[in-house]
Amino acid sequence: MTELRIAAVGDIHLGEDVRGQYRKHLEGIEERADVFMLTGDLTRHGTLEEGRLVAEELRGLPVPTIAVLGNHDYHSDLQYEIAAALRDAGVIVLHDDGVVIQCGEVKLGVVGGKGFGGGYAGKCASEFGEREIKNFVAHTRYIAESWKVALKEMTADLKVVLSHYSPIKETLEGEPHEIYPFLGSYLLAEAVDTAGADLILHGHAHKGSEKGMTPGGIRVRNVALPVLGRAYAVYCLGENGAC
Amino acid sequence: MEAPQYVAARVQAALAEDGRTHELGIRVDIRGDQLFLRGQVSGAEQRERLGLVAHEAAPDLRVHNEIMVVEFTEPGEDEHLD
Repeated sequence: MTELRIAAVGDIHLGEDVRGQYRKHLEGIEERADVFMLTGDLTRHGTLEEGRLVAEELRGLPVPTIAVLGNHDYHSDLQYEIAAALRDAGVIVLHDDGVVIQCGEVKLGVVGGKGFGGGYAGKCASEFGEREIKNFVAHTRYIAESWKVALKEMTADLKVVLSHYSPIKETLEGEPHEIYPFLGSYLLAEAVDTAGADLILHGHAHKGSEKGMTPGGIRVRNVALPVLGRAYAVYCLGENGAC
Repeated sequence: MEAPQYVAARVQAALAEDGRTHELGIRVDIRGDQLFLRGQVSGAEQRERLGLVAHEAAPDLRVHNEIMVVEFTEPGEDEHLD
């Protein structure tokens, strides 16, 4: 199996005032990467106009492009319409499911979705008490279970998980501790550790840190644009680890 | 007089919930009659809108808009995960 080069970014938050600006940075992406992944918060307010703008920005890229949506993209309750606009532009959009694509000699499996919050082991919400709290935790648990099943059922040479919310605390370092439960959940990491994957990519935490690892040893990268400080990161996966 | 912590919380909520901005993660600090906004956004117009919404939410305070527009470079070195 040859190596695979994954370009990744999240939280690009495009709006009319920056139309066309991000696209310029995608020129020549095919020279640097085999696939492009986006970890959500592609829009600011989740309007259909913004969704269409993002779709135009990503249309016709020379490498396969896979995305999940983020909480901003859900704000106007138009997440499915935004996803449809992106799909019309050739972007694969995941909603707690998976896809397998052939990248050269590598069969790449990608599983993911928005993810959700709840906090991290020992300092997290649980399904107890008021219905609202139970629903909050149950939403994350449902997502984690969906990812676990999708990963287990998938046959691929390499598996990558795309999320908006963070599965671990390490990549939140720099954010106020008080808001960690709104930034992610350990249930996501636990599910991926159980099913197995080669890399987890997420965004959401603008003030966080790029690099971390799940308790099971799966590498995690926070690719939020303000964290990266560059148009996208490129991660190389594969047996010889060389690009 | 309303405690500055509550005013700051109200401004922060306005920045997140106002349809013109919907911006999370902006830090709001109040010192006397001065209000400071800090954080990063994706464009200059968004920064200006945040200053406007903050002013509307706390019209008696002088707003110092110290929000920065995210600057990013071309993709750099690849990371090899072996």
